[in-house]
Order: sequence, then structure tokens, then C-alpha cells
Amino acid sequence: MRLLQHIWSIYLRVTSKFPALRSFVPFIPLLIAWTLVTELAIFPRAFLPGPVDVVNAFGTLTYKGVLTQYLEDSVIRLAVGAAFGIALGIPLGVLVGLSDRVRQAVWPLLLFFQAIGDIAWLPILLVWFGFSLTTMTLVIVYTVLFPIVLNTSLGVRSVSTDLHRAALSLGASKLRVVWEVVLPGALPNIMTGLRNGLGYGWRALIATEIIVGTSGIGFMMFDARRAGSVVEILLGMVVLGTLVCGRQLGTCAHRTRDW
Amino acid sequence: MNRRLHSALMFALPLFGLLFFWELCIRVFHVDERIFPSVEAVFAAGLESVHDGSIFQHIVASLGRVAVGTGLAILVSIPLGVAMGLNPIVSEFLSPLFRFFSVLAGIAWIPIATLWFGYGFGAITFVIFNAVFFVVTYNTLLGVSSIPMPLRHAAASLGAKGWTLLTQVILPGALPNIVTGIRTGLGFAWRGLIAAEMIATNVGLGYMLFLARDFYKTEVIVLGMIVIGLIWLVIDRLVLAPLERATIERWGLVRRA
Amino acid sequence: MKSLAIQNLSKTYFDPYAGANVTAIHDISLHVKQGEFVSIVGPSGCGKTTLLNMLAGFIPPSGGSIMIDDKPVKGPGADRGVVFQTFALFPWKTVLENVGFGPCMRGLPKSECDNIAREFLSLVGLEHAADRYPNELSGGMQQRVGVVRALANNPDVLLMDEPFASVDAQTRMTLQEELTRIWQERRPTILFITHDVAESVFLADRVVVLSKGRVLEDMPIALERPRAWEHLIEDDTFKALSAQVLHKVRSA
Repeated sequence: MRLLQHIWSIYLRVTSKFPALRSFVPFIPLLIAWTLVTELAIFPRAFLPGPVDVVNAFGTLTYKGVLTQYLEDSVIRLAVGAAFGIALGIPLGVLVGLSDRVRQAVWPLLLFFQAIGDIAWLPILLVWFGFSLTTMTLVIVYTVLFPIVLNTSLGVRSVSTDLHRAALSLGASKLRVVWEVVLPGALPNIMTGLRNGLGYGWRALIATEIIVGTSGIGFMMFDARRAGSVVEILLGMVVLGTLVCGRQLGTCAHRTRDW
Repeated sequence: MNRRLHSALMFALPLFGLLFFWELCIRVFHVDERIFPSVEAVFAAGLESVHDGSIFQHIVASLGRVAVGTGLAILVSIPLGVAMGLNPIVSEFLSPLFRFFSVLAGIAWIPIATLWFGYGFGAITFVIFNAVFFVVTYNTLLGVSSIPMPLRHAAASLGAKGWTLLTQVILPGALPNIVTGIRTGLGFAWRGLIAAEMIATNVGLGYMLFLARDFYKTEVIVLGMIVIGLIWLVIDRLVLAPLERATIERWGLVRRA
Repeated sequence: MKSLAIQNLSKTYFDPYAGANVTAIHDISLHVKQGEFVSIVGPSGCGKTTLLNMLAGFIPPSGGSIMIDDKPVKGPGADRGVVFQTFALFPWKTVLENVGFGPCMRGLPKSECDNIAREFLSLVGLEHAADRYPNELSGGMQQRVGVVRALANNPDVLLMDEPFASVDAQTRMTLQEELTRIWQERRPTILFITHDVAESVFLADRVVVLSKGRVLEDMPIALERPRAWEHLIEDDTFKALSAQVLHKVRSA
């Protein structure tokens, strides 16, 4: 018991100096357990390869340039889709947030289309644009759009009327009020919307790559399935998880502290 | 009662407006049926699939998988989340793990699910299980560990122990977070379901969409999309969101912003 | 109600952030007679909350003993009722269910619990709020509920941890007067922790001044009961006693 207390104490003190560690250390027991499970061959090796195999695959694929290429493809698709989504979403969100009329007219539509979900649009997009980059990008844009619009409008509405009035009575035009007061005020919510949107975007990207697939992490994961190679699937999952969490390292590590 | 009716109407109005706008566009621009169907075509397709029962087959299959997967996941995750949440050291240490896996929720598990379970019910239910499990466990863990210490002390000094402590204090205390977790998890599950059904099975709403694409039957595709949207809208807006709001409001200003 | 005997109590704990041992309580001995009202007062960090947590059984002592009528105390229990600074009412239960919680835990049928709850709610004039939820009540009302919730379970000792620190000054004075009234009617044994010197003198039969984990002074309060703020605020004895206590607290 005393030993545990001391270990925990050291852990707390080290991680308060390097908070990022707190997100990584808990994976160590997981990796150990995983290795044990594979070494003991509880599942056939073909079904569940161990961490060492995954690292090997990582090495091989990077060396062959395959992984880097796929990664690049995936990231670019996500970035392009996200860029459009943000460019469309933030203005729309601001509009919905500022105008009650627009909100009443548009909100049910937003909810309905969000309910349909990104993936359900794939079939009709495939009819229109075939198995192309356009299809994939449009799915990403759609996915990213909704969290951004919803959160932006929430943020805009949370900027108090007093702030609006203060700016107006100091001589700002309506447009400047939006730029100088509303947008900064809504920024925390916008960031939340961005984070959520990107998170959903990654997932949608994977599904799209599986279905439309010519390249990318999702494609790699699914294609590996055809060859019966679980290693690459696991590698893909690890890469995916790390990328999404890594991008959001702040939230992943300390979301509890927000409260 | 009037307020409810009023807000329901206000909600439905833009949707009807959309229907009207849709039909208008089809007529004015003479849109080819194979590019986008007219309202009547979709309606007709709907009637037909009701008539031959196919739509019900798909809906039942989809909802069934969601129900089983979610049910199993909740059965496992809530006890696990409670057990972990009660110990502050364990919950602090394991949270990053669960947050990481929450990110992989649903869709990322499809490839490995199809490899382990082949095509069909097992694979899809596995995907749904994962979509719900990590999120609900994490939220339960969070909910339990953030019950204020004075509340737990108060319960102890009033004689609550064991099972009664769990059912009268711990579970109610964590309920707002649990409900949020279930709502988020179901969202992931529903999306994962549609994707998985497109890839790995031969019955279900996702499959219905994908098959129709092969035959360019856009009216079936659009029908499917509307059905998917409506089902989720009903589940989320009429059941989950009010539930979440009700628990949070009832629990008052204890912890939440 | 029984008597409480604290003998050579000490508490040392391991602070994980400092990586070292910290002694919160050095050596405290205290005897509280049945039906007595004792205030414990001291500056921040003097250990009064640690003391209360040990008495309540929330944390184990490192040394010494706590006895109620010569029986040692281990862990939390219904024999020691606690009133918390943050009220700690269960937000998902109605006021009635909160107050009836203790009896319910003892296995009494629901109707019996409700009756007991109503009886105690009427002590503080809150029968009308029985079906409300805690977050619908003001701070003062919530704490009244907190007090009767602890009392309804008929504890041997009532431990109160700065219970009125979270309410505004006016409400605080009203609650203090109500507490003394309830005490006079029912005579529970009360241990009242506070940092407010005037409050400690107003309420108690004895004031114990704590500092750095030790007892500095144990002062009897020879003021007549019932006590009311309007009288005592100009009373010389009260002022003298308060000054004495304040001096002792500050000298720590």
C-alpha cells in the first residue's frame, strides 16, 4: 500500500510538470496486456497480432512509402473537406445565430439533414459523381458542416445583447460588430464545433475510403481485410486514434479539468 | 398543450417548405429521374415498399441490430464505469485510454469486425457495441467520479451501504452523465450502423441504400435517406434530448454548467 | 444521546503532491457530555475539518481513540449525524425523501419514513416544501433541511461542519437562533465547527479553540438561554467572551 502511494505520488508530481505524459502512460499497461494476450496465443495469431507485429508493419509500410502516401491522401482529403466545411459553416452559423427568423426557418432543416447523417449521402453522391475525389470531399464537407454550424450559432447567441449595444453605441457598424464582438465572443464554441467536426470528419473519411476506396488509411484498413492481414487494420486504427487524439491533445488530456 | 402544438408546427413548417421547394425545382429544371427523383416518385416507392413489406424488413433489421448492440453495451459499460469511477486513482489513470477508444467509435471498427465475424449480424452488432461501449463507460466513469464528496459522505453518515448506496446515491448521482453518454453513443452507433450495413450485409437501411445505387433507383435512395433521417430525428429529439434535459434540470445546479 | 470522549487523537497523512507526511492533528483530547453544545473554532488550517472528518468516520485517525459512551467509533455511521457546509442534499430526491433518507436506510417502511420526515420538517417550518426539490429552495431553506435530515436519524452526536458559512449574514443569524431553539427542545449533543468567533460564542456552552492541530483553550460560556442576537449584540458579557476567544484565535 505504501509503495503504491509513493509510486502514485511520483506519477502525480512528474505529470504536473509534463501534463502530456498523463495521456500516454496509461497505455503502457494496455500494451503490456495486449502483448501478453498475443504471446499466450489466447486468440490465433492471425486474428490478433501483437504490438510488435504492428510496429513492424509500420516500419515496412513507411519504408515502402505506402503508409506515408496513404496518410498524405487521407489528411489532404480531410483538410480540403474541412476547409470548405469551415468556410461555409462559420458564416452560416453566424447568420443562424444572429437572426431569429433565419433560425426558425433553418433550424429544423439543419436538424433533419444532420439526422440523415453523412454516410447516408454516399449512395446518391456515387450516382452523381461516381467513385471520385469529389464524392469523398463532399461527404467530408457535409459531416464537418453541421457541428460547426450548430456550435457557431450557439456561440453567437451566447454573446450578450449588452455587448452588441456597447459596440454599436461606440460607433461600430453592424458588420464591424460581427467581426469585432460576435466572432471573438463565439470563439470558444466555434473551437468546440471545429474539434467535433474534425472528429466526425475522420470517421466519415474512413467509411468513405472503405466504400469508394482507392487509397488512404480507411482503404488500407479495408483492403488488408481482403488479404486477411489483421496487422494493417490494427495499424490503421492506431494511426487513426493517434492522429485524432494528437490533434486534440489538449482536450484528450484534460477535458475533465474544464469543469 | 398549445405550446407543444405550436412548436411542433414551427418545426414541421420548414420541412414542408423544403418538400415544396424540392418539387418545384424538379418541375422547373426538368430534372432527370435518374439524377434526382420527384416527390411523387419517392412517395410511390415508399408505398410500394410498405406494400411488399421490404421497408419494414430493413427497418426492423437495422433497429434490431442497434437495440441488441446498444443493450449489450450498456449492460456492460455502466457497471464497469461505476466500478472504475468509485476509485479516484483508477478513474484518473484510465480516462485517457477510454477517451482514445471513444474516438475510434463505430466506423473504425468495421474492417476488423468483418475479419473477425465475417459479414452479417455479428459484425454489425460488434461495431455498434463498440460505438456505444467506450463512450458510455467513459461518461459513467466521469459521472461517478464527479459526484461531490460531501454527497457521498452524507449518504454514509445516514447509514447507506452497499446496494442501497449504489442505487440510491451513486447511480442517480451519475445519471446526467450516463444519459449524455448513451445519447452520444447512440449517435455514433446509428452512423456506424448505416456505414456497416453498406459494407457488410444484405438487409437493413444502409444496404437498401447501397443496393438501390447499383440500379440507379434514386427514388429508393432518397426514400431511404428520409426514413433514416426521420428515425434518428424521432429517437434523438423526441426521446434522448428531452431525457437528457430532464435529468440535468432535475439534478439542478449540482455540477453542470 | 450519549457522551463523546476523544482521547489523544492524532492524524498524519501522506500528501501525494508533496511526497511527504503532513501532521494535521497532533494531540487532541476532549470530552463532550450528553446534551452539551460545543463550538470548535480556529484559524484556517488548524485542523478543525480534519477533526470533524475523523469524528464522522470519513477518515481514520492515526493515533488515539474516539469513543461514544465507551464504545469505540469506526467508520461513518448513523450514530453520528453530519451537517455539511455545502448542504449535501441529494438533488434527485425531494425534500421529504431527503429527510426520510436515514430512517429508510434503517429499513423502516416508506410511510413511516415520510411521517418522521414531516415531523422534523415542521420543526423548521418547512412542511410545505416537502415535495419540492433541493434546487428549488434558497440556501437558508436547504440548510434547514440539511439539519433536520441529520436530526431525523436520531444520532447520538450531531457534527456540524461550518454549516452556516454558505448563507448570507441575515439568514445566518436566523439559522443560528433556530438551531439554539431546536437544541433547547431536543437537547442533542452537538459539535459545531466554525471560523466565526461570534457565532461560536453565541451558540455554545463551551468554546474550544484549536490551533495547528492542538487544543489551545477550552472556555465555558456562561450566557443565559434562550439567546437572541438583538440582546446579545449589546451584551457586555457576550462582547467580553467574544473578545477573549478572538484574542486566543489570533494569538495562534
